[in-house]
Amino acid sequence: MNRTSKLLTTLVVAGGMGLSFSAPSYAEEITLRMAVPDWPPTRIMKKLFDENYEAKSGNSVNLEFDFIPWPDYYTRLNASLTSGEQKYNMAVSDSQWLGAFIEGGYYRKLNDLIDADPELKTILDGMHQAPLQAYGTYPYKSENIYGFPQMPDILITYARTDVLCEASEQAAFMAKYSTKLPCTPEELDQMDWTMYGNIGEFFQRKKGDMLAGEPATDDFYGIAYQAGKGYDFSSMQINGFTWQHGAGIWDETNIPNAQAEGVVNSDLAVVALDRYLSLLKYMPPVVKTGSMDIFKTDELFREGKIAMNVQWIGFAESAINPETSKVANDVAFASMPGLRKADGRIDRSSNIGGQPFVIMTWTEGQEIIEAVDFVKWWLSSDIQHQFAAAGGQSAIKAVYNDPKYVTYRPWNRTWASGLEWQRDVWHIPQFFELLVQQQEQFDLAITGKQDAKTTLGNIASFQQRLLEDAGLIQ
Amino acid sequence: MNTTTAAHSSAGKLLAFRWDNWRLALLATLIGVPLSAFVLPNFAAVVATCILGGLLVITSVVYSWTRHVGGLLVAPAIAVLVVMNIFPLLWSLGLSFYNYRADRQSLSFIGLRNYERLLSDPVVWERLTTTATLVVLTVAVQMVVGFLFALLFSKQFPLRRYLLILVLTPMMLSYVAVGAFFRYYYDPTFGLVSQVVNMFTDEPFVLISSTGGAIAAIVIADAWMWAPFVMLLVLAGLVSVPKHLYEAASIDRVPAWRRFWSITFPYVKGLLMLALLFRTIEAFKLFDVVFILTDGGQSTETIALYVYRQAIQFNKTSYSASLSYILLFTVIVLTNLYLYLANRRTKEG
Repeated sequence: MNRTSKLLTTLVVAGGMGLSFSAPSYAEEITLRMAVPDWPPTRIMKKLFDENYEAKSGNSVNLEFDFIPWPDYYTRLNASLTSGEQKYNMAVSDSQWLGAFIEGGYYRKLNDLIDADPELKTILDGMHQAPLQAYGTYPYKSENIYGFPQMPDILITYARTDVLCEASEQAAFMAKYSTKLPCTPEELDQMDWTMYGNIGEFFQRKKGDMLAGEPATDDFYGIAYQAGKGYDFSSMQINGFTWQHGAGIWDETNIPNAQAEGVVNSDLAVVALDRYLSLLKYMPPVVKTGSMDIFKTDELFREGKIAMNVQWIGFAESAINPETSKVANDVAFASMPGLRKADGRIDRSSNIGGQPFVIMTWTEGQEIIEAVDFVKWWLSSDIQHQFAAAGGQSAIKAVYNDPKYVTYRPWNRTWASGLEWQRDVWHIPQFFELLVQQQEQFDLAITGKQDAKTTLGNIASFQQRLLEDAGLIQ
Repeated sequence: MNTTTAAHSSAGKLLAFRWDNWRLALLATLIGVPLSAFVLPNFAAVVATCILGGLLVITSVVYSWTRHVGGLLVAPAIAVLVVMNIFPLLWSLGLSFYNYRADRQSLSFIGLRNYERLLSDPVVWERLTTTATLVVLTVAVQMVVGFLFALLFSKQFPLRRYLLILVLTPMMLSYVAVGAFFRYYYDPTFGLVSQVVNMFTDEPFVLISSTGGAIAAIVIADAWMWAPFVMLLVLAGLVSVPKHLYEAASIDRVPAWRRFWSITFPYVKGLLMLALLFRTIEAFKLFDVVFILTDGGQSTETIALYVYRQAIQFNKTSYSASLSYILLFTVIVLTNLYLYLANRRTKEG
């Protein structure tokens, strides 16, 4: 072998060795599966992921969204988890399900991951406490974190400006109630339940009656809020009335001393429920059937049958879309009405809506690293801004306090102040049993079968017995 | 051959390693499966179970190949029945004696306590009463309407075939679609019923505002869906009535009612009984329409809806299993009652 060939051989061998030592490790393909309800906030999440997401690790991360219709969502997720198939790495969950699925060993406690990741800790520190506690903690308001906000939500007022601002209606309302019919979002923000009731009473129009200067094409009603028997479609509104009146629900943050008897059916709670029930007579007749849930009130509003509705923000996008709403161009959004106190202040305490997303206990190794990176990406300022701009909401203070935030959507002006009033219902594993019995009892009151005192008495005694049996009340 | 030799011989037969020795395979399976479940890790236990199960199947097939061909031919059907029906049935029966919840890992034997609890639970009895009311009303309406439809369609008239297809259509729809359809149909604001009534009364009509109204709503929806089924069965009976019997009756000037009672009814009685049996069993399980129309509101929660809440929403697996067995028992009693009555009438006939 001559010198040249020796040199070449040496170069080739050295090059080969160098290559073998410095060859980049191939990026792994990681697939994460996430169960999500099929509605705009999760569709936006997928769109943002598909358009923007690049894993910091350099791995090729594929997040498969399993879109499940809302009515089937709990059943399908519950069946998947309890069957042990371990199909999903992550899932959107209602906050009320936390206890049941944590105790079952499905939702992963996240404190160790948060403690080990200063970036994630900073994100959580910058989050509003109400959604963080509602969506993430079990026991409720403890230090244990299990979830992050996917779509935080609150109840707000949807109002028809074409009806409320019309001159003849304004004049007639002033003549009858000696006060101005609220019309602008700022005026609507000052609305209490008394005013809401007056508006309900005022807009009771039959087909052919004059409505906003023209004969009504169908029966028309002033107000609506959820009063359905299904799922939590009356509890979510009644809880707000209860808290505003200074009464309470069973307090799971004070186990085992908190009682149900005497609290759930206190005199103030009875007054609160009576107040809730007193406004139903002004609502569309479907309320008498016990099926006026959030989907029905949404439909009534979009079809132009009511002047006002108290509804979750999650429905607002379809209310201003001309393809899905007959009143798309005439909608204003304001804070939910509340109870005016003696000092003139309005108490707007309300049950928080929306959902967290959680990570499953069987997500391990590289999957959990990628899942946490996804969480950080989702909660990053840029993506939260994009989410809000597309119609979602953010629980990150720096995001929603940004002046740009209120320009994204007309209802965003209610968000920051609304968050201050939010509380949550129970997170314990017995949640569903408590809820079903409570909904049954509220339904009896809503459909006029029993009075508020009897209703709350029945709920309180059932809860006392069930929670004592479960060892949660001593 | 003395007793000892015979015993040795049968023991030898049992332990012989042959492809047709299904007894040895069964023995190995009975010992091996539980043993593997306790001793081996999960995956290995599943593999061992599959191997032993496979061995049992192979030896049984080889053994039966020349001896029990008939049995061998029905074996796949029986195997499917065992896997899909009998095993889950026995498994859930076993579960009903425990306090197992699907969302927890704990399991403890509590004997008959679930049955004791549910039989003394006033809510269960209330749901059973509601179910019984709905069964009686919905089946009665279906039988009457189905019978009248059958009488109508047993005659020839213009467009009969097309109308028959239209009448049969509801039966082919899914429960959920029917429930959703009737929910809109009854809606006081958007519904057709309310719009029509409103034209006369100037008030929206709210059918589901009382228990009676809600039950009527459910009965109408269920009857709309299933009266055609009754019609179909009765129609099969009606077309089989020999024409000459009617001709003879006509010559004898037998009144229409007598003609129906003496000629028509005996021919459709058996099929009517069958329709009654099928519809009663189905109505006893009434769930979907109630779930969508009222969600159990206005005191219309059926026992099937109650079982759903216990099993799916509350994850009380064992309790709901025991409740299901009470329902199964009730349906079996009803079925046997019908069969007994049907047989007695046949014998009397």
